[in-house]
Amino acid sequence: MEKVASLIIIIGTFLWLFSILALGGRWQWQMFSALVLTVGIFWAHFWEELRDTDSTEESDEE
Amino acid sequence: MARERVTQADEWQAWAQRYDIEGGIRTFESGLTVKVFVGALFVGLLMMPGSIYLSYVSGESGAGAAPWVAVILFTELARRSFTTARRQELYMLLGLTGAAVGSGLQYRNFIWYAYFINTPQAASYEIADKIPEWIVPAGDSVGVLTRSLLHPDWLLPIGIYLVGKLLGTLRFVSGQYILFRLTADLERLPYPMAPISAQGATALAETTGKEETWRWRVFSIGSMAGLIWGFLYIGVPSLTGVMMSQPIQILKIPWIDFTQSIEGFAPTGVFALRTDFGQMLFGFVLPFPIVMTEFIAAMATQFVLNPQILYRYEILHQWSAGLDVRAVGLFNGLDFWMSCSMGKSFSFAVVGMAASVPMLFKMRKSKKTAGERGSFAPPPNRGDFPIWLMGLMWLIGMGGFVWLIHWMVPNFPLSFLLAYAFLYTPLNSYVTARTFGVLGRDLFEIPYLHEITFILSRYEEIDIWFAPLPDEDYGRGTQSWRVLELTGTTFTSNLAGTLLIMPILLVSGIVVLHFIWKIAPIPSAQYPFAQMMWPINATNECLWKTSLRDGNSQMLQAIRGDYVAAGFTGSLAVYGMLWVFKLPSMWFYGIIGGIGADPGSMVARLLGAIIGRFYMIKRFGMRRWYMFNPVLAAGFACGVGLIGMGTVAIALVSKAVIVKPF
Repeated sequence: MEKVASLIIIIGTFLWLFSILALGGRWQWQMFSALVLTVGIFWAHFWEELRDTDSTEESDEE
Repeated sequence: MARERVTQADEWQAWAQRYDIEGGIRTFESGLTVKVFVGALFVGLLMMPGSIYLSYVSGESGAGAAPWVAVILFTELARRSFTTARRQELYMLLGLTGAAVGSGLQYRNFIWYAYFINTPQAASYEIADKIPEWIVPAGDSVGVLTRSLLHPDWLLPIGIYLVGKLLGTLRFVSGQYILFRLTADLERLPYPMAPISAQGATALAETTGKEETWRWRVFSIGSMAGLIWGFLYIGVPSLTGVMMSQPIQILKIPWIDFTQSIEGFAPTGVFALRTDFGQMLFGFVLPFPIVMTEFIAAMATQFVLNPQILYRYEILHQWSAGLDVRAVGLFNGLDFWMSCSMGKSFSFAVVGMAASVPMLFKMRKSKKTAGERGSFAPPPNRGDFPIWLMGLMWLIGMGGFVWLIHWMVPNFPLSFLLAYAFLYTPLNSYVTARTFGVLGRDLFEIPYLHEITFILSRYEEIDIWFAPLPDEDYGRGTQSWRVLELTGTTFTSNLAGTLLIMPILLVSGIVVLHFIWKIAPIPSAQYPFAQMMWPINATNECLWKTSLRDGNSQMLQAIRGDYVAAGFTGSLAVYGMLWVFKLPSMWFYGIIGGIGADPGSMVARLLGAIIGRFYMIKRFGMRRWYMFNPVLAAGFACGVGLIGMGTVAIALVSKAVIVKPF
């Protein structure tokens, strides 16, 4: 899951750089990149928190 | 070796624990006693007339130091009476005295509009007859002509103000409390500036005890440093300004501008060294990674991004050689940075939500104990309120406020008011609460929001310019709840104190202002600052209020969608890449705060951070240094405040003497 989040963020970043360098920085493309990045960042944080819960529960059982 | 991933909240919690010198959850006590209440009223009401008078005479109210004076007076009385003053009492005293001193100035708009309605500027811009009667009575009314705030003509403006104040109290108390619970209890953000206020009261409280600890010693060192620095930086220019036509400035205030010196190799770059080295104290307190990355990002902006990219590609196109920092800043802002900053601000909202929404989900899954990250349970005996009650209070306060504005400007589209009240205000407040929790300052501000709204609404009447809009920010106020927690003051006692003192201050403020207005017209020769500034301010106000008549504002034209998107997406990309490479999230706040800023304004803070990190920690040890530095900063603020108040008083007295020929 961590790798999926990283991949989405990297794709979003490259998309943004591409929209700046090759597409003249049009706001529509930039906002599309922002959407991809937002999905990646949310994914990353959800993974972080759920991972935390799992480890806490395991340690509680011990 | 692979770097270990640390969540944003864990990172911040670790930083917060450095300042939590009493080991997390503490005991809470009420700070409200009869002696605190009477003491605050006595000092506050004694200083309030002087504060109003000074603001019209010199433009400075001197109110900042008044609470500290009250606390020092209180502790000295306690020592001489062989009793002790608790830190909860002293913190309450600080807050209540501040409210009492400022209570007169809350009505200053009445005096301003009583003047404004009869100015030639208002008449020539055809505004005078369009100023609504809920702001000020008619220009030829008895209440205005006889300078009497107690005349029945003022009933409507004062009545509206009081209803607004009541609804505002409901909204602000509940809004701040809910956000505090979210950011401090659930997310465990550190609020790095809160310990400064908390430790000041704690240090002074200890002076009344039997044993003086390190706090009083460190507070005294800070106070002496503040007194010396305040004398050099504020005192000398103020006092020499009384005697000479050109005041002596030992260090040029507020900055030494190097912008023209760097324009040869960095056109469009700015560098103005801010001379207020009191900022070093904030560098001691703020997280080192933030201060460092902020400075590096600012340097990269002014020496690489601006001159080598934005200027070269003619994005910054208004710049020309020979401009100073203000002009370059204005042109760069209009060309690019104002739009980009708006985008950056929105990214804080997204990052904040991304960090906190999963926590809310997780909270439903796992039971946490109070004080633990991810737990919404308050510490015991803190005097907390039910969240549903606070939510209800906010809804009543905001609903009433929207209805009041709709009554004041019935033709203005209600949808805009509702969107401001129930979408923008919660979002804006939450983002500000987070930036205060992380950085101790506000980063989320959308400029010219009212103007944009008025254009989009196609509303052309002038009365909307005089009405309040429900675009509020409760984020700043969350810090004071954190200070209450750090001082161990129960929330209920603080709320009770505020509500008890409010009616007294509402009445006394208006009575005192009435009498000051009766002494002489404002502005007049008796009030030189108002006499000099108010005519200019009247012209400016006319210009603003009529700026959208032809729909051609330079400011509005400066906002460009592609630059806003660049700021927003670029910031998200920075945050995302930091996460991918497992780098601290503090870097994000530093980098985004520093991009586009003037590095010269950060030098003092950077020096403080470097000295703290590489000398003080080695000298005193990590734990002791983080115990010392908030107390030191509080003492420093106290010293500078006292100098400010003293010099203003001397300047005032000497001016009064010199004006008389014999």
